Amino acid sequence: MRDKIQSRGVTRRAVLGGMAGVAALSLAGRAAAAGGEAPALAELVKGGKLPPLADRLPKKPMVVPPFEKIGTYGGTLRRGLRGSSDHNGILRMVGNQSLVRWNMEFTKVLPNLAERWEVNDDASQFTFHLIEGARWSDGHPFTADDVVFAIEDCVKNTDLYSAAPAQLSVAGKVVNVEKIDDFTVKFTFAAPNALYLENLATPLGQHPTLFPKHYCSQFLPKYNANVAEDAKKAGVSSWPELFRARCGDIEIPSRWGNVDKPTLDPWVVKEPYTGGATRVVMTRNPYFWQVDTEGNQLPYIDEINFGISQDVESLMLNVISGKIDIQERHISVLANKPTLSQNMKKGDYRLLTLVPSTSQQCQIYFNITHKDPAMRKMFADKSFRQALSLGINRPEVIDIVYFGQSEGYQAGPRPEHPWYHEKLARQFTEYDADKAGAMLDKAGYDKKDGNGFRLRPDGEKVFFAIDVIPTLYPDLVDALELVKAHWAQIGIDMKVNTIERALYYTRGDDNAHDAQVWPGPGGLDPMLDPRDFFAFHPQGSRYAIPWSVWYTSNGKKGEEPPESQKKRMKLFDEARSTADLDKRGAAMKQIFDIAADEFETVGLCLAVGGFGIIRNNLRNVPEKQPDSWSWPNPGPALPQQFTFTS
Amino acid sequence: MLVFITKRLLWMIPSLFAISFLAFVLIQLPPGDYVTTYIATLASSNEIVDQNTAAQLRERFGLDQPMIVQYLKWIWGILSRGDFGISFEWQQPVSGLIWERMALTLVLALATLIATWAIALPIGVYSAVKKYSIGDYLFTAFTFLGLAIPSFLLALVLMYVAAVEFGQDVGGLFSSEYETAYWSIAKMLDLLKHIWLPVIILAVSSTASLIRVMRANMLDELPKPYVTTARAKGLSEFRLLVKYPLRIALNPFISTIAWLLPNLISGSVVVAIVLNLPTAGPLLLQSLMAQDMYLAGAFVLLICALTLIGSLISDILLALVDPRIRLE
Repeated sequence: MRDKIQSRGVTRRAVLGGMAGVAALSLAGRAAAAGGEAPALAELVKGGKLPPLADRLPKKPMVVPPFEKIGTYGGTLRRGLRGSSDHNGILRMVGNQSLVRWNMEFTKVLPNLAERWEVNDDASQFTFHLIEGARWSDGHPFTADDVVFAIEDCVKNTDLYSAAPAQLSVAGKVVNVEKIDDFTVKFTFAAPNALYLENLATPLGQHPTLFPKHYCSQFLPKYNANVAEDAKKAGVSSWPELFRARCGDIEIPSRWGNVDKPTLDPWVVKEPYTGGATRVVMTRNPYFWQVDTEGNQLPYIDEINFGISQDVESLMLNVISGKIDIQERHISVLANKPTLSQNMKKGDYRLLTLVPSTSQQCQIYFNITHKDPAMRKMFADKSFRQALSLGINRPEVIDIVYFGQSEGYQAGPRPEHPWYHEKLARQFTEYDADKAGAMLDKAGYDKKDGNGFRLRPDGEKVFFAIDVIPTLYPDLVDALELVKAHWAQIGIDMKVNTIERALYYTRGDDNAHDAQVWPGPGGLDPMLDPRDFFAFHPQGSRYAIPWSVWYTSNGKKGEEPPESQKKRMKLFDEARSTADLDKRGAAMKQIFDIAADEFETVGLCLAVGGFGIIRNNLRNVPEKQPDSWSWPNPGPALPQQFTFTS
Repeated sequence: MLVFITKRLLWMIPSLFAISFLAFVLIQLPPGDYVTTYIATLASSNEIVDQNTAAQLRERFGLDQPMIVQYLKWIWGILSRGDFGISFEWQQPVSGLIWERMALTLVLALATLIATWAIALPIGVYSAVKKYSIGDYLFTAFTFLGLAIPSFLLALVLMYVAAVEFGQDVGGLFSSEYETAYWSIAKMLDLLKHIWLPVIILAVSSTASLIRVMRANMLDELPKPYVTTARAKGLSEFRLLVKYPLRIALNPFISTIAWLLPNLISGSVVVAIVLNLPTAGPLLLQSLMAQDMYLAGAFVLLICALTLIGSLISDILLALVDPRIRLE
């Protein structure tokens, strides 16, 4: 969907960005006239403790049309976090303030802190015009200096980042950012980077707006000669550690662990996310730079209270007893749906539908680059993989494990996506045990042992283990147990190898696995994560990790892949460096064609949607949202315009 | 006695070193390291860590160095400046994290201990004295039930009933308004309002086993000649019970003090997680799962130190209570 709109090219997108900026402008004229603010803030202004609203808002504040209606101020929104490494639970709700953002449908990049932008013809230069007069949460102006500081002084500082984040590097070189004037910055890449705006809208694109210069510069030696002593005084061993503890990074808990750090978010930390915390409280940012269509300053809701649960069951209990206002994270497994549906009345909530951006519920990755030559030969045989795919009774798995809510599928964009590829998605999804057996016979696995299991040409039994993480994906364990039974009928012996998460990753990294399963991405975002179409991701393309290492290290490490892979890698490099989105689509179509011919991964069924709950008195929440890390739900639905009715 | 205590104290030093090293090795044994776990945890919500960031994290935390180097650095920090290191996950000094939670853990453990002993001792004595009476059978039945029900299950059931049927606020030790408040009378009362549920749950299973132990011990002592002698001399039944057989029957209770102290931290982990209690247990488990080495290492070290101190205390107490034990 997104790509269809993009396919009109960069100039069109630049115009769109500009137009949205103009729209915001005209609305802002009206907005300034009305101009409401939260009663608590008005009180502070009266007491002289806070400048008046007009001095806190930008000249032309960004106007956000509320989803249903103009809201009322007040209330505390309650949501749950897990005890450990759940910082992204806060990020998804609060920290979505990049230069640009996604629209609700996950199809288009909209202006955010940059009110408009221009892109040059080969998509290597991006000029962003920042909102004039936006302020950090301590009242300090947000300007081009902050963006330049964040990239040039922080991200490109090798003591802080021994390698710059991948998003900001193209062709092995890090982006150059220069200040044109106070509110204009120019990003120059060493080569075309046509996907940059989309990447900028994802959470990993937040660096340009993450570090306030007036605050974070005190932790850099360039600006503060005494930083080493400051670090010692704070009890940390070095200044980079001090910088991280105070200024955080996109994805680490300490981003939410410092109440003093100014941000551009609608809510700021009041009680931090630290090791001993039992909850995190965020309170409204008095300088937040967005207003609704009547000029009322956002957010509507006063505070967010993230309760920290060690255990998902106690989170569930809070949900059904009505103590959580919006939640999908951690509870959205299919097994919880009956319980949550039954208790809708008791908990006074309605259900939220999540549209998966993933493509496949259970992708089976046979290790085509297995260390054992005999196993490698077996998995690398296309007809072997096809036979196993034919030998799976998909309707039975879907009925029993997924309550009938899916359909047989292999890989590729979802059916509603304009790049949907019929052959890639549907081939070998029918159940035909006889044909599968015949194919296996033909492939040289025609001898059987006393138990009816097939033997390899070297006399060993055909046997392999599929790694799966039960704590993470209990449904995949159930699905695999059924598949094991189906495969036993065609004479294939498989072990469902339930292991712990870190071990799963280590085995993959070491290329020590026979096969692993994972939900396959690329359903709505095939360009952002094409790991199932060729060996793209050194942790995710589990059918050939060494090939993907070869690809990402530019041939320095890993193992050289066969010609068909190399061709796809080249096509993808072309696709992501072209500004012309028709050409991009054509290149991707070729990649899909080759991937369909090679049939490297075996899929089970189309990814099943998740769900969540919204309390009935919480309004302005879209009840259907994309579910993706790139569209970090519910953030792009703009929680700052959520509101309570009572 | 003094010589004995000094000797024991001196022995604790090499023991602690050995234990700390073993603990460090054990924590490192599972495959992968903190960064692997970190990536895996984020991947569980389909979140992606930048490839460059991951490599750089490893370098920054010193995970690319040999384990012995990491251990020596850690132990030197503790010895030279009392610095237990920085928690990888939270970027906070470990010592701060640990002490924050220890106070509440202590309160909960002591409350549970008192509740357990207050229930178990009298009932144990009663069932022994009135062997095979109706009361004895009733308590025995209760005991087996208490032993048979896993405490996390009991916690879940009680929580469900309290939350869904009675609309009670369950989970945690404080109401939200007191959670981060400073200590006051009101906060104490709020704690009392919340602490009974975990105390009951934690007390049930240990009470059950203690009753059995007490009953068996008393039954061993009651038929002994000294009891008959004392009775013949006309001692009142109550004084007789308390003065001799009970004192001896207490022996196993005192020997278990050595496990009691470390139990403060690790004993109630599952219940604490289910009930969402801000005690040390969940933090320990979480640090182990995240392979947050220094935090987990400090916890394990603390548990070991407590075990050593606990066994010293129980040895001293035993010598005081049981006249048959001599230290020399």
